[in-house]
Amino acid sequence: MSASSFQALDYLEQLPVQTHRKLYEQPSTVLAIFRCMLPHLAKSIVMALLYMPSSFPAADLDAWFRAESSQTKRNALSILEKLHIIVSKQDDERKPHYELYMSFASSLRQALEGSGSHRSFGVPSHKSEERRVSVEFLDKYSQRQWENILFYLVGGTVGFRNPGGQDIGQGTKNLLHLAGFYNHSRITQDGFTFVLRDTNAQVWSLLVAYLRNAPQQRMSETDILNFLFMLGSLELGQDYSTATLSATQLQMLEDLAEFGIIYRPHKSASTFYPTRLAVTLTSDAGAFSQATTTASSLGGGATSKGFIIVETNYRIYAYTNSLLQIAILSLFTHMRTRFPNLVSGKITRKSIGKAISYGITSAQVIEYLETHAHPQMQKKKPFLPPTVMDQIRLWEYERERMETSQGFLMKGFGKVEDYKEYVQYAKDTGVLVWQNDKLRMFFIDSIEQVGAKIKRDMQRAAARA
Amino acid sequence: MNAIDASEHHERVDESVPPSLLAIVLDTNPHAWAHLSSTLPLATALANILVFINAHLASGNANSVAVIASHSNKSCFLYPTPAPSSPRPQPNATNGDVDMNGTTETTSYSVQDNPNKYRPFANVETAILNNFAKLMEGTKESHLEATPTTLIGGALSLALSFIAKATLLHSPSTSNSDEAMLAIADPEAIHTSYVSLASRILIVSVSGDLANQYIPVMNSIFAAQRKRIPIDILKLAGDTVLLQQASDATGGVYMKPERPEGLLQYLMMAFLPDPTARKSLVMPSAGGVDFRAACFCHRKVVDIGYVCSVCLSIFCSHDLPDNLCLTCGSYLSLRAAQSNPPALIPRKKKKKKRAGADSATPGGSTPAGSNTPMHA
Repeated sequence: MSASSFQALDYLEQLPVQTHRKLYEQPSTVLAIFRCMLPHLAKSIVMALLYMPSSFPAADLDAWFRAESSQTKRNALSILEKLHIIVSKQDDERKPHYELYMSFASSLRQALEGSGSHRSFGVPSHKSEERRVSVEFLDKYSQRQWENILFYLVGGTVGFRNPGGQDIGQGTKNLLHLAGFYNHSRITQDGFTFVLRDTNAQVWSLLVAYLRNAPQQRMSETDILNFLFMLGSLELGQDYSTATLSATQLQMLEDLAEFGIIYRPHKSASTFYPTRLAVTLTSDAGAFSQATTTASSLGGGATSKGFIIVETNYRIYAYTNSLLQIAILSLFTHMRTRFPNLVSGKITRKSIGKAISYGITSAQVIEYLETHAHPQMQKKKPFLPPTVMDQIRLWEYERERMETSQGFLMKGFGKVEDYKEYVQYAKDTGVLVWQNDKLRMFFIDSIEQVGAKIKRDMQRAAARA
Repeated sequence: MNAIDASEHHERVDESVPPSLLAIVLDTNPHAWAHLSSTLPLATALANILVFINAHLASGNANSVAVIASHSNKSCFLYPTPAPSSPRPQPNATNGDVDMNGTTETTSYSVQDNPNKYRPFANVETAILNNFAKLMEGTKESHLEATPTTLIGGALSLALSFIAKATLLHSPSTSNSDEAMLAIADPEAIHTSYVSLASRILIVSVSGDLANQYIPVMNSIFAAQRKRIPIDILKLAGDTVLLQQASDATGGVYMKPERPEGLLQYLMMAFLPDPTARKSLVMPSAGGVDFRAACFCHRKVVDIGYVCSVCLSIFCSHDLPDNLCLTCGSYLSLRAAQSNPPALIPRKKKKKKRAGADSATPGGSTPAGSNTPMHA
């Protein structure tokens, strides 16, 4: 599972049972959840249960697993229970049994067998060949739309203007605002996290924000999720009919077209094309990485597999001419030169310091460099030179020299023995933060235990006197 | 500052599951399926296997599958559709390049039109069904009369070569020709550095004794063992010593269900978990394995036989033409062994003639010539 599916999984887990039930009526949704949300062992459990004529006794399940992997088994079972995929029942002898939820099981069976008449895998439209748009066109389109969104976030901070000229729609702006990526015409820390991720994770985090926003727009979450999961199972380059979509889904079409997830020839068209962003929604493959060949031929190096070379002398060479990628790089790099297909620069203390003042963390910088590392760099493990990684972290720590913690300063001990006893006690209880033997002072972050001891000792001293 | 430690950060726990390639060898021997037709007709079995393939493809995004039919007169790929350069040209196959992502473009009927089916599943199913129909049409009565068994050895080597090719294509080093060459030169080294594709072979077997293919099958087993490819056996009918040994030697699953009707449940529970999942599951195995070998001269399973000292070929009788080994052609006098059963050498003369001990060993006490009776 990739980071992107984790986000969606987190979102799915917190949905109520009713929503899950409704979701599981769609075979395409069930298949997508099975394919990308479940941990590996959970898949084995589901498949073992799927065609089982009776329920599965928990004792047998335990016997099926090796003793040393009970932890992973519990983890898998808990996710399955949270998603309401399996249910634990007790039989007449009060022994626990596992069963799949009826609707989940029947939908998954339908998906595997291709039976039923749910039409949930998209109804292809029959159009004459010459009117079809090409895959290259779709790639170009989705890339442009998505980069516009990213550029909107990054461009302002770096001071670049989008040469594409096209601004993103008001709806998208509002969504970015609601998601907390953009605030007071500045990109936020969450926004940076968003921008520095790989494309698939970006798409999911935007869509999760879209889902959270759905109730305000009076859109049904179930319909949205069903539609998204259906998109994930469509074929690139094929156009699909909008005839079977619900009102919510028709409304979504417009928003998704703006994100570049689908393409519609015009607003009232009766068909739509899923783009590469859509068909990779439910797979782990980076959305644009499969488009390497087309992307590089288009010159949009931004989307090719990896283009950044980092040397041990902190120099960075990025084979790209995409303004967006240059803008992102210049967030934390001191850019020097630009050639037709290459930019070079250097990571310096100052440039990292600037990035950190924006709210970017060193981990994000390193992750970005790792995700976009050039294939030559990917041959080694770790991809980046360790010195550079450590130095970036050190530069971040440099800015965090001061650490604050709230607590209590204890001072005014009469005798050294008393002082030592209390310091030892504080150390043992794990509340000691700082001590100075010369001044007979120490600092603790919680007063309860030390205070109680002082009180006890004082009472004892008073009783003795 | 102590928090910064180079060793700590760089080893990331890789939680992602490697994609798995499942090569299914389907025994399509018409004789054996005819026997099974009352409990499990071939059509039902094939439908179940298709559902199983879909389940496998759904279990991982990059999972792929290859299906090989081991027929009575030939073994051939059912999926991916073989290149048109094969003896019978196929108008449907597109470019002939084997597509690893399971998206072979079949331009045949009705693939695109079914909105109730996930496209990758539909593609695989259509390809398999088309190729299977073609295989059945091409089967003549003369083929069936020729032999009652199936060509499992050829099918196994097809599967192994497909896996080897897929592994090479899949490993990240393919871009660099040097490393690709290195991979060919020293496959073990590459295997340990990138465990990129977890492959396994599933043999759905219905035919009985395969002793006539002892040598090719055994060679395939050793190849699989070396490549660490588990061979799973689902034995629906018949019984062979060989396949049991295959699963035992490669660490695969061996199952001989008593009720073949429940094929799908057996497949789903015992054969679906890939090598990653198997680490945490208890998998059924063969139990008592019959390790007997088949002889090279009459393909009989033997308890005690004769072994050529040069090439380790096994023979059941001492009557070799011209006293030459059938495999390597070296001189092999088995008759001497026959007349002189091995006996324990009395070790009396231990300290006496030390120097001439080798040459002076009496011919009667050591099996003469170059053979040793084998007890397997």
